[in-house]
Amino acid sequence: MTRVVALYNIKGGVGKTSAAVNLAWLAAAGGARTLLWDLDPQGAATYLLRIKPKVKGGARKLLAGRPDPGSALKGTDHELLDLLPADFSYRNMDLELDDVKRPTKGLSRVLAPIAGDYEYVFLDCPPAISLASESIFGAADVLLVRLIPSPLSLRTFDHLRSFVASEARKPPQILAFLSMADGRKRLHRDVIAELLAAHDGVLQASIPAASEIERMALHRRVLAQTAPRSRAAVAYDLLWEDLRRRL
Amino acid sequence: MLETVRVPAPSLQLMLPEGLEASAVADTLAAELPIVSQRPSTIERTFWDTFDGRMRAAGLALVGAGGRLAVVDAISLAERASDTHRRGANRLLVADLPAGALRDAIAPIVEMRAVTPVVRVKSRALALNVLDEIGKIVVRLRVEESTAFGVDGSDAAVAVRARLHVIGVLGYDRELAALRELLEHGLSLAEQSAPVQDDAVRAVGGRVGGTSSKLKLALDPQERADGAAVKILRRLAEVIEVNLPGTLDDVDSEFLHDLRVAVRRTRALQRELRGVFAPEPLRVFRDGFKGLQRITGPVRDLDVQLLEFDELAAALPDDAAGDVEPLRRLLQAHLQAERRKMVRALRARTTRALLDNWTDFLDLLEASDDGPRPAAARPVGEVAGVRIAKVYRRMVKMGAAIDDGTPAEALHELRKQGKELRYLLEFFQSLYPAAVVKPMVTSLKGLQDVLGRFQDREVQAGLLRSLGDEVAMLDGGAAALMAMGLLVRRLGEEQARARTQFATSFAGFAAKSQRRLVEQTFG
Repeated sequence: MTRVVALYNIKGGVGKTSAAVNLAWLAAAGGARTLLWDLDPQGAATYLLRIKPKVKGGARKLLAGRPDPGSALKGTDHELLDLLPADFSYRNMDLELDDVKRPTKGLSRVLAPIAGDYEYVFLDCPPAISLASESIFGAADVLLVRLIPSPLSLRTFDHLRSFVASEARKPPQILAFLSMADGRKRLHRDVIAELLAAHDGVLQASIPAASEIERMALHRRVLAQTAPRSRAAVAYDLLWEDLRRRL
Repeated sequence: MLETVRVPAPSLQLMLPEGLEASAVADTLAAELPIVSQRPSTIERTFWDTFDGRMRAAGLALVGAGGRLAVVDAISLAERASDTHRRGANRLLVADLPAGALRDAIAPIVEMRAVTPVVRVKSRALALNVLDEIGKIVVRLRVEESTAFGVDGSDAAVAVRARLHVIGVLGYDRELAALRELLEHGLSLAEQSAPVQDDAVRAVGGRVGGTSSKLKLALDPQERADGAAVKILRRLAEVIEVNLPGTLDDVDSEFLHDLRVAVRRTRALQRELRGVFAPEPLRVFRDGFKGLQRITGPVRDLDVQLLEFDELAAALPDDAAGDVEPLRRLLQAHLQAERRKMVRALRARTTRALLDNWTDFLDLLEASDDGPRPAAARPVGEVAGVRIAKVYRRMVKMGAAIDDGTPAEALHELRKQGKELRYLLEFFQSLYPAAVVKPMVTSLKGLQDVLGRFQDREVQAGLLRSLGDEVAMLDGGAAALMAMGLLVRRLGEEQARARTQFATSFAGFAAKSQRRLVEQTFG
């Protein structure tokens, strides 16, 4: 059975893409056929995987199912990981969704003919609260949210949960993980402890702030390729293990 | 972890010229293309298949490697589904595999057949990745230099021609086409459609594609009837011989089934073409094959009961589904006892002598005196046509006399004749136009299905009734007996339904147009 995980954040620039790419790679490395759909018009995941951010016919054709979304897929450097690339036209995804029947099912309809080939599908979602978000809630089994260890995180997480519950007919499971965590800071330790105690939806592993993650964009490679033994790579391994068990 | 069934990437396989090493291929390609090679690796694969090569016929291979068993594409060896695999077993039935993607992928192909190791292949693989201008992999190459080993434990190794696997990357078809052009035309490498498994099987003296029990004979209508009979009977004797070891070792139930079908076909031809044999030796052999049929019957009946057991038990209400387990155990115990008797009889000197004498007899038949063999020298087209038309006419007459009140025996008799006709059509189909034989076989098959269901349900119900006393004595016997009562009733209902379908299927078989066609072709 295919499990769809959407990497989702209200706010941009919080390392969501590096999580999407590294987790999808780890899923494939574990032997599972995996698809990553880069829904972010900025195309960072597509860039990291050295693929051209182009989908023939753009968002409009893709949502219309013509041609078959399978023809837009690209194989990555991992044999079991495929990418549905980003396209600049995704910036108009809201407008395009508004034009199709039952917009909240729009993304599910695109995935329907191809998802069966995959054990895991990861969606790297653009940061926004919009029609596209509702469509993401409709398509995903799990929303995976990145939190930073700040006292406001708990509030943000609760806010998101009630937002999803109010917007989605069948709300996906919401899970969160922490990043930019610094174990030397007492505040970080306290916030993490509080989050873990308050929510069983918070995954145990937290991703450290690490230069290896920043260097991914430079090398256009995932951590498993460039620094497989680094602290950040090990943290992603643990995160994926925890996530996989919950899927 | 279980894996989902995959769509394989587009790929092709090219043969490397003798003596060309993997490193030389890498160097040649590196001069033309941006390529990175990985460290060579060694992989040892054991290929598994059914005796009749069903995986191979489906364009797939079942491969054991590194503690996993995988269904792979036969040529590219790209994986479709896999699961962990316990070493040591050398025979697997579908039921031996854990539920999951691997079992789901294999079950419809192998059905009731067991898979066993066919050949072992040790390969040294060198992976080469072709990159685009930004360093992304756009085509994958793998050179495999392989050595084949038998599965009988001997270490005799035979080298197999090296192959270059070219594996496309999704969405990079143009790059694949360009590379293909370079390999095939620039470097003159030829595409190879035979998988490495075939070469390896051949290298260790095995039979590529497994062993078939099909007849597949081409006869000439003008050839002597005895010569044609010998061709068919020799092939049937061969089928009996190849299925004998698997029957004795109980590899799977199909060995006995195929052996019995060949015996039944042999007997049918002995009867139908009796005029090509001298009466006395024929009588001896007919008795012998009748005995062979008899000693293998009880095991086959029990095999069928057990093969259909789950389907039958599924007809029970949910709360009674487990109640019939004592019956299953009893059937298994009976099967073991009957198997022991059958194996003893099949291993007996008389059985060996029967089969050897029969093939010796066939070798000499055409040279023997035509005197006591009135049909021997007649053209087979003529002799076979007469027999087909006669059995068909007999069936039409017998079927027309059957109505709702006719005793079950008449339907059983008709089924026997139907089998006889089916065999005759199979033996001699190459002598007649397919446009006549095919629809005839189809309508006959429809009729035989109905008659078969009618008789099988009666036999199954009879067997269940006969086991009632024994089941009652077992732990849980009372509940099992009640469940068996439900099963017998259900079998009775199915038998009654088959009887109501008889008239329709017989009407198709005996239609005027069909009768006319039979007279024109065979009469």
